[in-house]
Amino acid sequence: MNPPASPEIGSQLITLMAALMLVVQLLLAVQSMLFTSIRLYAIQSLFLAGIAGVVAFSGHAGHVYVVATLTVAGKVIFLPWLLNRQLRRIQTAQDVEPLLNPTATMIVCGGLTLLAYLVARPFTSLERLGNNVLAVAITLVLTGFFLMFNRRKAISQVLALLTVENGVMLAAVALTTYGMPLVVEFGVFFDVLVAVMVLGILIYRIRETFASMDTGKLNQLKE
Amino acid sequence: MTLILLLLIPACAGLLCLVTRSRESWERLNLLAFAALVPLALKIAADVLAQGTVSALDGFLRADALSALVIILTTFIALACAIYSVGYFRADARAKKITEAQLRRYYALTPLFVAVMLLVPLADNLGVMWVAIESGTLSSVLLVAFYNQKTSIEAAWKYIIIGSIGISLALFGTIFTYYSAVNVLGAETQHGMNWSVLAGIADKFDPKAMRLAFILVLLGYGTKAGLAPMHTWKPDAYSEAPVPTAALLGTAFVNCAVYGIARFDVLAVKCLGPEFSGRLLVWFGVASILVAAPFILTQRNFRRILAYSSIDHAGIMVAAIGFGGKLGALGAALHMVFHGVTKPLMFFCAGGVQQRFATPYFRRVRGVIHILPWTGGFFLMATLAVTGTPPFSIFQSEFITLSAALATGHSWLAFLFVAGAMTIFAGFLVHMVKMNLGEPRSDRVIGSTVQRFNECPWKLGAMMMVAAAVVALAFWLPQPLYQLVQQAAQIIGGAQ
Repeated sequence: MNPPASPEIGSQLITLMAALMLVVQLLLAVQSMLFTSIRLYAIQSLFLAGIAGVVAFSGHAGHVYVVATLTVAGKVIFLPWLLNRQLRRIQTAQDVEPLLNPTATMIVCGGLTLLAYLVARPFTSLERLGNNVLAVAITLVLTGFFLMFNRRKAISQVLALLTVENGVMLAAVALTTYGMPLVVEFGVFFDVLVAVMVLGILIYRIRETFASMDTGKLNQLKE
Repeated sequence: MTLILLLLIPACAGLLCLVTRSRESWERLNLLAFAALVPLALKIAADVLAQGTVSALDGFLRADALSALVIILTTFIALACAIYSVGYFRADARAKKITEAQLRRYYALTPLFVAVMLLVPLADNLGVMWVAIESGTLSSVLLVAFYNQKTSIEAAWKYIIIGSIGISLALFGTIFTYYSAVNVLGAETQHGMNWSVLAGIADKFDPKAMRLAFILVLLGYGTKAGLAPMHTWKPDAYSEAPVPTAALLGTAFVNCAVYGIARFDVLAVKCLGPEFSGRLLVWFGVASILVAAPFILTQRNFRRILAYSSIDHAGIMVAAIGFGGKLGALGAALHMVFHGVTKPLMFFCAGGVQQRFATPYFRRVRGVIHILPWTGGFFLMATLAVTGTPPFSIFQSEFITLSAALATGHSWLAFLFVAGAMTIFAGFLVHMVKMNLGEPRSDRVIGSTVQRFNECPWKLGAMMMVAAAVVALAFWLPQPLYQLVQQAAQIIGGAQ
C-alpha cells in the first residue's frame, strides 16, 4: 500500500472543514443566545482560514497564506470582538423570538442544503479540491439569507450576513485553485470590516431612537 | 496620471474635511474638488478619443470610451450637487434642522462617495469594481441616515440590508465568472480578473458556469440599480436622504450599477450568444418600467415619485442593452447620458419645493410657479424632459430603444414599453401640473397678491447649470460627445 499523496490529504481536509462549516451554520440557525452565535461565527471563520491554509500549502500559492492570515486576524479575532463589544454596549444577550421555531428552521435549512446540492451538481466536474465544497458554499449563502429573514434583531441579521460572506469566500478560496488576486482579497476584506462598523453605527442609532433592536419595528415607511 | 488624480482629489478633499473646522472651509473644499474633476474628466475623454484606451498603474486603472462617458457624467452631476448643497444645507442650518457635526459628516462622506463612484468605471479588475460599488453603498448609507429621524434610520437599514444581500450575490457572480475562466487562464492570476483580459477569451469560458454567473451578477447589480423586483429600498432611501445625496444616488450611482451589468453582459454575449443574457435583461428592464408605472400614477409624495422614475429609467437602460444590436447599445449609451443630465434637475426642484413648503406631499403644495417662479418653471420643464417629451433628448434615446425592440422582433415588449412610458407620462403630468400651476393655497396669499419668496442663489445656480445642459442637449449633441457615445455603444455591443 502506498501512502496517500499529499494533494489527496489536502482534498480530504478541505472536505472535512467545509462540512464542519456547514455544521456550525446549522447550529447558528437554531441558536438564540447572541454571545454564542458570535462565538460560532468565529469558529466557522477559523475553518475557513484553515481551508485557505490547506489550499495555499497544497497549491504552493504563497499569497493564499496572506488570505488565511487576514481571515484569522479579521474574522476570528477582530469582528467577534467588535460585535461582542457592541452587544455589551446595548445590553441585550438574547434574540427576540424568531419567526419560525427551531424544528421548522431545521427543516427549511435541510431543504436549502438539498437545493444547494442540486444547484452545485453541474459544476462538480470543475472542482479541483475537495468534494461538494461548492454545495457547502451555496448552502451557506442560502441559509444565511434565510436567517436574515428569520431573525428580527438587528445584530443577528448582521451575523447572518457575515455567514453569507463566509460562504462566498469559501467558494472563492476553494474553487479558483490559487484564489483571487490579492488586491481583490484585500478590498473585500476591507469592505466587510467597514460594513460591520457602519452597521454597528446604525444598530446603535436604532437602539437610541426606537429603544429596541427589533427590526420589525422599522415599519413606518410605506406608500 | 490624470486617472490617479481623478481618484485622489475627491478622496483628499473628503479627508481634509475631517480635519478642518468651519462650514465655509468644508463648502470650499467640496466645490474646489468637484470643480477640478470636470476638466480632468474632459481630458480623459479627449485622450480616449485620441488613443482608444488610457491606463495607469500597470493596467490597474483603465479607461475606454464607456468608462470615460460614465466619468464625465459623474463629475458633472457631482459638481452640480456640490453647488446645490451649499444653498440646501445653509437653509437647513437656518431652520435649525442640522448640527455642525452632521454637516461635517456630509461634506466628508460625499467626496469619498464620489471617489469610489469614479473608481467603478476605472477599475479594470472586476473584483475591484465590485469593491468600489460596495464601498459606494457603505459611504452613502450614513448619508441616507443623515437626518437621524426614525424614518431615515429605517430607510438606511433597508438600504444597507437589501443592498448587502444583492452585493453578496454580485460577488458570488464575479467569482463564478473567474471560475468559468480558470481553465483558460491557467496560472495567470495577477490579471486574471481584468475585464480587458477576460473579454478577449470569453468565447472559451465554461458556458454553464457563465450562465449562473450572469444571473447572479444581474441580480446583484440589479439591486443597486433598483431593477424590479429588487427595488423596494429605493423609494425609502431617496425620500429620506438629503436632496443632493438622493440626486447622486439616483443618477451617478445608477449609472455605475448599469455600467457593471453592461460589462458582464459583454462577457456573457461572447460566451453564450446574445439570446441568454438579452432575454434576462429585457424582462428585468420591462418589468421595472411596468412596476414603476402604477406607483407613479397614484403617488402622493413628490420625493418618492422621483425614485419610481429612477426605477423606470434604470429599466429602460437595461432593456436597451438587452434588445441588443447596434441600436440597442446606442440607445443604452444615449439614455445613460440624457438621464444623467436631466434627472438632477428634478431632484433639485423637488428639494427646493420641499424646503420652502416643509412637506413632501403633492396635496399640500399648490401654485409653486407663483411663489417660486424659477423653481416652478424648471420643475415643469424637467418633468417634460424626464418623461421623454420631444424636443427634449430623452425622447430620442427612448425612441432609439423602441426601434431596437422592433428591429429585433420584440413587438409585444415594445408595446408594453410604450404602455408603461405613456402611463408614467400621464401620472407625472397630472401631479406636476396641479402642484406647479394650480392656485396657491390661501395661507400663501396676502390681500390679492401672492406672497413671493426670493430664490437662493446657490440652489438657483445649480438648477440653471443643469437646465442649460438639458436645453442644449435637446437641440445639439456636440460632435466629440457623440463620438464618445458611439464608441461606448460599440463596447456595450461587444466590439473591443
